[in-house]
This record gives sequence, structure tokens and C-alpha cells, in this order.
Amino acid sequence: MTGIISYLVFFTTMASILAIATLGLNLQWGNTGLFNGGVAAFFGAGAYGTLLLGGTSQEDHLGGFELPYVVALAGGMAAAGILAWVVGVLTLRMRRDYLAISTFGMAIVFENVMRNAEWLSGGAKGLRGFERPLRDALGDGFAYNAAFLAVVLVLLFATYRFLQVLVRSPFGRLLRAIREDETAARSLGKSPARVRLTAFVTGSVIMGLAGGLYATFYAFVSPQDVLPTLTFQIWAMLIVGGAGNNRGAVFGAFLIWAAWTASGWLLSRFAPVDAQIYTGSIQYVLIGLVIVGMLLWRPQGLLPERLVISQSGQAPS
Amino acid sequence: MKYLTANRYALGLATALGIALAAGSASAQECTTKIGAVLPTSVDWGKPIAETAQYVVDQVNEAGGAAGCKIEMVLRDSQVDPKVGVDAAKALVDIDGVQVLIGAVSSGVTMPILTSVAVPAGVAEFSCCSSSGAFTKLAEEGKLKGLWFRTFATSNVQAAVGAKVAKDQGYKSVAVLYKNDDWGQDIGKLVAGHLEAQGIKVTSLIAINDGQPSYRAEVTEAISGNPEALYMALYPTEGTSIVRDWLSLGGTQNMIGANSLKSDEFRNNVGMQYLGSFRGTDTSSPRVASADAFVAQYKEHFGKEPNGPGLANSYDATMIALLAMEAAGKDAKGADIAAAVARVTDPSGEPVTADKDGFAKAKEILAGGGNVLYQGATGNVRFDANGDVSAPAVVWTFTEEGTKEDSYITLEEVGELTAK
Repeated sequence: MTGIISYLVFFTTMASILAIATLGLNLQWGNTGLFNGGVAAFFGAGAYGTLLLGGTSQEDHLGGFELPYVVALAGGMAAAGILAWVVGVLTLRMRRDYLAISTFGMAIVFENVMRNAEWLSGGAKGLRGFERPLRDALGDGFAYNAAFLAVVLVLLFATYRFLQVLVRSPFGRLLRAIREDETAARSLGKSPARVRLTAFVTGSVIMGLAGGLYATFYAFVSPQDVLPTLTFQIWAMLIVGGAGNNRGAVFGAFLIWAAWTASGWLLSRFAPVDAQIYTGSIQYVLIGLVIVGMLLWRPQGLLPERLVISQSGQAPS
Repeated sequence: MKYLTANRYALGLATALGIALAAGSASAQECTTKIGAVLPTSVDWGKPIAETAQYVVDQVNEAGGAAGCKIEMVLRDSQVDPKVGVDAAKALVDIDGVQVLIGAVSSGVTMPILTSVAVPAGVAEFSCCSSSGAFTKLAEEGKLKGLWFRTFATSNVQAAVGAKVAKDQGYKSVAVLYKNDDWGQDIGKLVAGHLEAQGIKVTSLIAINDGQPSYRAEVTEAISGNPEALYMALYPTEGTSIVRDWLSLGGTQNMIGANSLKSDEFRNNVGMQYLGSFRGTDTSSPRVASADAFVAQYKEHFGKEPNGPGLANSYDATMIALLAMEAAGKDAKGADIAAAVARVTDPSGEPVTADKDGFAKAKEILAGGGNVLYQGATGNVRFDANGDVSAPAVVWTFTEEGTKEDSYITLEEVGELTAK
């Protein structure tokens, strides 16, 4: 029983971290209509930033600043934000699919730089030498994982509250206005370019937070953590959960991550030994089917966006 | 309303889970010990590695199981995704209660499994194929608590032998192409260093990314230095594309390859007519009967040669893990099993072969308090304090049927070469 609890703590931690990233994407796509195909890069910037700033000195790559953890995590978020700002200034004038392609390409560039710039990131063998905060006090075992989960849950809730307040504010209405009809928004004297950039950077900083927590959890990050698969996973979570709905984003993250891991677990347990070797492939097929099925039968997601009418006026006659 | 439905699903799932667990414990009467395996079974070259591990488990069960129980290997796919691999490992450790993990393959997956699952839980981890130098460093820092073993000889062995081949063949200049991952970056740099040390010019050192439709740009760059030979630390798919581009641009047929190219796929797709002067390196099948026995029994079981990266290593990793379980006794914890590895790889122990009979013999000796020397598919595996192995090496060539050995380099010679 303790094993199951220990596993569930572990699972919930990872699902919560992914939920934070999904919330970041929801601000960009769900609320503002920005198709960010480079989630992995902003997640990765947060992860690498946090470990580089908070890590101990290593002979073969940069690092060893050993900043306090909170500063390191904030630094990781800042790294994601700066990356998003640069990318945003360059690409945000593009529309949906073009923006998707350019941000996707950017994520590939990011991964390749991390893979090759050994002096910076340790190259393909990854970045190590990070000591998890408070490890001396809590050890490596269950107590640490439980405490870490509590921190992650607090941050998930804080992110969720922040975004709820944000999307209900006038600024949130502006985001949706730009998403629905940018020309109309401009005709009202708003500056869509600046607002889009703000939303893009904010969403990316949130992804950076998720990345920083992820890297802290493993005390390790390598280019394999920032492959396009990650972008795909986060998107699947948002689409299944319901774009435009923050609860949907969190729910989708938990659901997809549960499906992703539970399918592997169930197959390993119940598939016959001869078929075990193929369970990996079967799992891919199952996950693909779920996503395709969702898109066909419930494209708005499990918890669709609730459209809010801010001021109910008289219907025009 | 929706939340209600979700809750009901969760309840249903939890009930199903409970039933499944209850069923599991009810049938555990006949005593089964689980071990966990996290391997990339959804990747083409990962499947045979997992099949080989399962084959070892089958053999051990035929010999009566280990530590008094039948062994069940719970196999999970890592999808070459660290998150997925770590989650799988955590589930194996927490829910299935395994004390031994086999895997993973990619160092980027193995590392977080080791540091955030295996070591905190005190579970012994045996990897067939993770090659990153970072593990050695971590072990030197004392962070792995002696729980980590890998049967993949450090890349330096193959790199040194690759350079020796170039020298023996009389090549004056070599272009080095390597797979752009941790293993490739490691071996590429090491080979370049050894080549320079042998007085051979390295005309270019080029990283090859996976899955590109064409490698013409990389090959053109490599060929522009007019090298007399090509060194490849690549996997079969990329290797095939590269060699095709290389030959079509007029590159030489003088090629040296790492063991990752030791595959039928590569040979068939390139074509034997172009591979006449190809020399491959590998850490060796040593001069003991058990290595030949491994090849023979593998052929008998799977109906093909054990050609493919990491098969012999996977065999040894799994077998040593099970031998150590046997030596540690029933209900041993990961740390005990890790500590027992020394008892089954003892150079002064009684030699045992890498098969069912070898395992049965080892059981008797261990039961009598003796130590054994496991003569594995990759040689007399002996781990150093960091869980690393060295190994003798072979140079091999392709033949119509598969591969054949060209020359054998003993452990001592390898030691001299790698010391340079």
C-alpha cells in the first residue's frame, strides 16, 4: 500500500508539472489563439536555466553559480521569458500555421543547441551536478517527494488562480477579442501586437516554471527531455482537456498523463508474455486513437470553454 | 455533472485496480519474484534487446528460477522519453516491488531513472547499453551507492581499437562521423583523439542527426577533406544513408564502423559488393566456450545471428542481475543484490557458462558458499568500483551470411591501447 501511495505521489507530481505547462499553453492558444509549436523550448529554457543557475560547479560545462533555489527557479522562468520575447518579436506577426511552423523550428533549434553546445549545456549527455533543495533535511525518499509534491501543487494552484483572474479581467477579454477578430480589436484602439507578445511571454514563463520544476524533480536534464514529443504531449493535454478552459487544461494534463502511463502499466500486466515486446507500439496506437477520437467527436475538449458575457445588454433589435 | 462522471470513472478505475492487485496476490502462492525492465521496445533496435533479456529470464526459470522463486520480468517501454521511462521505473519499484531494474538504453533516460528512482529506493540497476561518461563521474562522486552496473564497455575500448584498425590498414587520414547523441559524441571525440595519437590526420569530425531524409551536406563536407577512410559511429538507418551518399559522391570503400553497425539491415541495404574493405570493431566475444555458446543458443532460439547493438550486453546484464539475486538469497534487497555482484564475477571463482546449465551450476556453487566467475556473452565481465566494465575487443568484417571475426585483441592489448 505504501508503494502505491509513493507511486501516486510521484505520478501526481509529474502530472502537476505538466499541468502547469498546459496552463501556459492555454493562455497562448486557448485564450489568445497563438499556436505555439515550440512548447518544449520554453519548458527546456526553464529547465536548463534553473539547473545552470542553481547547480554546483562542473568541469565540462557552464554552471556552478549555486544560487539559492528560488532565485535559480526565477532565473529559469526569466530565461524562458527572454527566449519567448525574442521569438515573439520575430514571429508573432505571423498567423496560426506559420507561427506554429516557426515556433516548432525554434524548438528544434533549441534542442540542437543544447545537444551540441557542450560548454553550455553538457551536450547530449545532459546537465548534472544539481543538488535538490533541502535534500539534506528531507533525504531522498518518500518524505522528499511528498514535500516536493506539496510545493508543486501550491504552484499549480497559484498559476491556476493567476490565470483565472487574468482571463476574467479586461485584459483577458482583450485576449479573446484578439483571438476572435484582430481587426475589430484594433478598430477599438487596442494594440494587438503588444498584447499578443505579452500573452506569449507570460505563457512561456509559465512553461519555464514547469520546466524548472521538472528539472528540479530529476536533478538532471538532457536534450532528450526537450524533444518535440513533449510539445505534442502538452498539446494533446490541452486539446483533450478543453482549450480556453483552465480547469480543462489541468484536467486534460492529468487525464492524458494517466492514460499515457496507465496504458503502459496495464499492458505490462495483462498482455501475454509473447505480446509484451509489442506493448510499446500498441501503447502509441492507443494514445493516437484517443486523440483522434477526441478531435472527431469532441473537438471542444472534455471541459469546453465557457463563453462569458461580461455585460449583458439589450439584444439589438 | 462532468466532475461527477469523472469521479465515477476514477472510482471504477480504483476498483479495477484493487481487484487486479488482489488477483495478483492470490496467484502468488507458487512464489514469483519480479524484476523490472525499462527498455525502448517501441523502437526497432530496442525490441531485440528486450527479447534477449526475456530469453535470459526464461532460461533461468528452466533452471529452477533464482533465489528459490520463479522470475517474472515486467517489461515496460521507455519510449526513449525520460518522463515515460522514469514513471515506468517508479511504478515497477513502488507497485510491483522490484529490487532489480534492467535498463534503460539511452543515457538520457537511464540517468533520471538511476538518480530519482533506483538510488533513492535502494534498487540495483543493470544497464546493457548506456554509455555516457557521466555515470562514471557520478559513481566517483559516491552518489550511486554501488547500485549501478553496466555491461557496455566504456566507449574508449572501441575508440582505441578503431584507431588501431586505421593504423593497421595504413590509412593516413580519416573522416569521423558520429551519431549526435551522448554515445556518439563520446566515441567520436575519443576516436579522433586516438587517431591523432596514432599519427593519423582527422580530416573532419561531423555529428550526424537522426532521421534526416538526406545526409548529402554532411557527406560532402566529409569528402571535401579527401580522407583515405571513413570512420562511422552510427546506427544502421543513418549509416546506410550515409554510406549510399558517400559512395555515390565517389568516397572510398575504406570504412571502419563501431559495433552499432553490426547488423544485417546495414549489410543488406548497403550491399556486400561495397563492404569488402569494411572493418568493424566490437568489444569482444572472448576465447571462452560460453561466448560461442551464446551465439549458438541465440541462433537456435531466435533463428538468426545475434546481430544488432547491445544483444550480448543485454544478455549479460540480465544474467548477472539474476546470478546476483541467486547469490543474495531470497527476499534480498537491491543493495544486497548489488553487493552480491562481486560474488558472481569473482576472477578467482569457479567459471560458469552463459546459459541454462551455467546458471544451474552457479546455483550449486553459490549454495555451497563458493564464488563464481561468470563467463558471459561479452567476456569475463568484471566491474570496477564505478560499475564499469572493460573488455577485450574484436575486429570484424561482413560476410554473405553475417559477420566474421577478423582479429582478436586481448584485454591486455586493449589496456595498452586505451592507456595511450
